[in-house]
Amino acid sequence: MKRKMISMFLAAAMVVSVTASVFAAEESDKAYVQDKGTLVIGITDFAPMDYKEEGSDEWVGFDADMAKAFGKSLGVEVEFVEIDWDNKIMELDGKTIDCVWNGMTLTDEVTSSMECSNAYCKNAQVVVVPSDKAEEYQDTDSLSGLTFAVEAGSAGEAEVSNLGLEYTPVKAQADALMEVSAYTSDAAVIDLLMAAAMIGEGTGYEGLTHTVELNSEEYGVGFRKGSDLAEALNEFFVTSYEDGSMMECAEKYGVQDAVVEQK
Amino acid sequence: MEQIMEQMPVVLHSLNIGFIQTLKLFFVTLIGAFPLGLLMSIGSTSRIKPLSWFIKLLIWIIRGTPLMIQLLIIYYFPGLVLHNPIWGGGETGRFLAASFSFILNYSCYFSEIYRGGIQGVPVGQEEAGLVLGMTKTQIFFKIKLLQVIKRIVPPMSNEIITLVKDTSLARIIALQEIIWAGQAFMKGSQGISGAIWPLFFTAVYYLIFNGILTLLLGRLEKKLDYFR
Repeated sequence: MKRKMISMFLAAAMVVSVTASVFAAEESDKAYVQDKGTLVIGITDFAPMDYKEEGSDEWVGFDADMAKAFGKSLGVEVEFVEIDWDNKIMELDGKTIDCVWNGMTLTDEVTSSMECSNAYCKNAQVVVVPSDKAEEYQDTDSLSGLTFAVEAGSAGEAEVSNLGLEYTPVKAQADALMEVSAYTSDAAVIDLLMAAAMIGEGTGYEGLTHTVELNSEEYGVGFRKGSDLAEALNEFFVTSYEDGSMMECAEKYGVQDAVVEQK
Repeated sequence: MEQIMEQMPVVLHSLNIGFIQTLKLFFVTLIGAFPLGLLMSIGSTSRIKPLSWFIKLLIWIIRGTPLMIQLLIIYYFPGLVLHNPIWGGGETGRFLAASFSFILNYSCYFSEIYRGGIQGVPVGQEEAGLVLGMTKTQIFFKIKLLQVIKRIVPPMSNEIITLVKDTSLARIIALQEIIWAGQAFMKGSQGISGAIWPLFFTAVYYLIFNGILTLLLGRLEKKLDYFR
């Protein structure tokens, strides 16, 4: 009898402690991270946002460098962890990471399941043409009749085929640029961020420029639902935009054209 | 082909790092699951009913669910439900969680192999020990254990070789083992993107390592052949 009582008591205690922890008053996520001393950032290998230079073990890139600065402003260490992109929400809610900062497009799926920062970068599918012809091609109507090179299976291919334009699918975005500079195609469609980093002055494709944006998407940073870190990051973005450190960092990785004004 | 040769040094370097993770998980699992499996097999045949029931229930659950789900539950459950991410988010935490899952999983399979081995030793062996005045513990360690080992080498070899390949499941919690490393080049890593061959090439690593294991286990089996 006594044993039964004890086991019942233990079972009850367990139920209470589990429910108590489930319904524990939501403490501030910022306090939680500062208390822990590390901000764990979920990333994937994605140049120029988060990547490693050959032979180096340190994560660098526009996102990685901004994340380091944000960590410093919170007074915590940052730790980068490569995650399986499909599991990012589970990683956040399971507290195995504290944020997702990896050139993440703010889609409905993302904004409904995470607490997102303001958009800090815009991305788009842009048309790349030789600089000397750029003036002729400033709107979608002017594009008919051109032959395009696009990466097979990319968002760019989808845009071009939606518009009913003639195109050649190539293996990679870099190959599409090569087509244009070799005049085998009239124009290419690639990511804006990629275009910012790879064409124009001081790059391997100095004679190319980008013109029309066919669609647009925005990048944001994701935190746990209800986290006050998103607000803290928005404030950090504003200060670093105002003091110029954000642009300086963007220029280092060639994404300055994509940065969204923070206010 | 030329492109592959160019990419080879970078790819091999990163596959090697991945394979070290694979090997670490493999050896940690073996070191943990060999003794734990033995304890479980003793427990499951124990005369203390609640203990043997508990272990049989555990074996049923672990063998009855996919290891991939077990990894997800063990790694994410503490944080998701109990709000206490006991493993931590870093690479060490992922490795610990993966090791725990693999040890638990393989202990269950090993314990059934041990049980088969122990129950396969003729009763006469135990009776002979009793006649000589040995205790149960002495009989187990001095008479039965070596015979058990001999009997279980073939089925164990099977499980060990399966384990080498099962380690790839740990990529579901982002443990960066060799398959992860190979796949990274499809999306783009270290300046190489859209390369599919590194993923296929990982098979060579598994094949060579399993070849070595097969030879070693075969030799062990021969060594134990002197008594029947």
